[in-house]
Amino acid sequence: MGLAEVIVLGSIIGGIWALVASGFSLVFGVARILNFAHGTYFALGAYVAVVLNSALKNFMSDCFSLILSIILSIFIVGFIGVAVYKVCIRPVKMYGVMIILVTLAIALLFEEILLTTFRDTPISVPFPLSGVVSIAGVPVPYTRLVALVVAILVIALLDRFINATRTGKEILATSQDSEAAMLVGIDVERIYVIVTFVSAALAALAGILYSQIYAVNPQTAIRVLIYAFAIVILGGLGSVRGSIIAAFIIGFMQVAVSIALEARWSEIAAMLAIIAILIVRPRGLMGVE
Amino acid sequence: MKGMKRVIALAITLAFAASLPLYIPEAFIYLLGLALLFAILVVSWDVMVGYTGYVNLGHTVFVGIGAYTAALLQSQRLALPTLPVPASIVMGGFVAALVGLFIGIVTLRLRGYYFALVTAILPLVFMQTVFIWPDIFGGEEGFTIEHGLAGSVVEKYYAALLIAFVSIAVMLLIVNSPVGLKLKAIREDEELAEAVGIDTVKYKIMAFVISSFFAGIGGAAIVHYRMVVAPDLYDIPLMLLVILSAVIGGLGTIYGPMIGGLLIYLAKNWWLKEVVDVFRFTALPINDDVILYLILIVVAILMPEGVYQGIKEKLKKERG
Repeated sequence: MGLAEVIVLGSIIGGIWALVASGFSLVFGVARILNFAHGTYFALGAYVAVVLNSALKNFMSDCFSLILSIILSIFIVGFIGVAVYKVCIRPVKMYGVMIILVTLAIALLFEEILLTTFRDTPISVPFPLSGVVSIAGVPVPYTRLVALVVAILVIALLDRFINATRTGKEILATSQDSEAAMLVGIDVERIYVIVTFVSAALAALAGILYSQIYAVNPQTAIRVLIYAFAIVILGGLGSVRGSIIAAFIIGFMQVAVSIALEARWSEIAAMLAIIAILIVRPRGLMGVE
Repeated sequence: MKGMKRVIALAITLAFAASLPLYIPEAFIYLLGLALLFAILVVSWDVMVGYTGYVNLGHTVFVGIGAYTAALLQSQRLALPTLPVPASIVMGGFVAALVGLFIGIVTLRLRGYYFALVTAILPLVFMQTVFIWPDIFGGEEGFTIEHGLAGSVVEKYYAALLIAFVSIAVMLLIVNSPVGLKLKAIREDEELAEAVGIDTVKYKIMAFVISSFFAGIGGAAIVHYRMVVAPDLYDIPLMLLVILSAVIGGLGTIYGPMIGGLLIYLAKNWWLKEVVDVFRFTALPINDDVILYLILIVVAILMPEGVYQGIKEKLKKERG
């Protein structure tokens, strides 16, 4: 029972973390941007979807308005990500400390704005189906099952996109050497915009799935960011596949810790895991330079 | 000659700072003392980040460790011996330095961004300890201590001035010594520094330990100044305020971050509150933090190389 629970529930939360961390890792790997506002896109995804849904519900059926607002939210947050990149990050891109300072300030700014407009009551994106299926003896509600399936599908698509399309190959080329990529005629700036959009959209999707299972409040942004950091350190900076594997490891560990001890120990457990991995394998599981 | 000028400038500054309580209201003096202690945090951050180039995002961890260590040594919450106030402040520094040593050994062998990411996680992890053991650390509210730096506000201000002066002077001596030169060599080109025989890992760890020590001292002193220890000393907004002050002052200059720290702290706690009142009648989601973050973003975009450098270059252009 214990082990089955860890694997089933852990892979659900791991799938959500994989969406968050792969986008974070992608932006770092391609554009060398440590985006501290990444957790903000996660929270915004849920908030935008909830606001849109309550507005659209008056005009159409519940189910249709929900699906429409989720899709719209993912796109809106994606464009917010691009806007943040163009307005705030690009002017300071040459200065490493400034990128951190600006994106951290953006994260805290959005947190304050969300706090003053919505208070700190947690919100959830509604879910149309209710019911439970049993996987290996563990009862799994439909919300979680759908989250897992969606997460795995999207991650598989992302992997195909990066490794099998022309744009994906341009992304890989830029991440390996942006100057050489420019020399062979790749529009590097366009690649950065695409990558920021994909990364923010993935975070928004993760936020929506997460809020359907648990709930999201303005402070979630920073907490999620911490998990994203833990995962990319574990998986190795700049490696998207490493991040996906590490995301599931962190997910399993989180569930195991919350069964054995209590949920609030999971950050400490994640920290210990990072310290252990840095001692044994300084570049993470699949890290690049 | 140059040394003489410096001594005179220092004496005048100190005399000016010491005379402030004579003609400035007490409420403002209280704030000024806190600003002096905040300047220690900013300068100690600069010792690591400005001189080695490694971005430490977990500085508040050491502030918090120093603060809680000193506070626990003043209370009966743990069966610890109660130390006199100066000794507990120094102990706060030592415990923070010890944690810094451990984290430095694990993370500073690596180059680049790993250090920034690991240190970024630390504040949240340490903050959790406060909530896991509320009986010891007092949870969200923190707890109050009995003995402060001094009795009256003016006496506290002088104590803060003394602590800030000694701490910043010691850090200034360190970065102007041969050790500081080696740190700058690491910042400019780590591989080259290694090639000329500098044990880069050792010096990076040394800078980090010194930086955490003074962060601990600063945190412990703040607790004894305001008589309350609470998780806000671990928190990310404080970290951002430290980064902002150092960047505005100019990294790697000690004096710049010190002045930046004083100005930013006073501006945030005194002037910004009045600005917010102007917006009160509008329904916009604005409070003092929102304005601070907006200013920060705008300043960073307009002068990405730091305000100090930015102004210097503007002046140069105008002169032709």
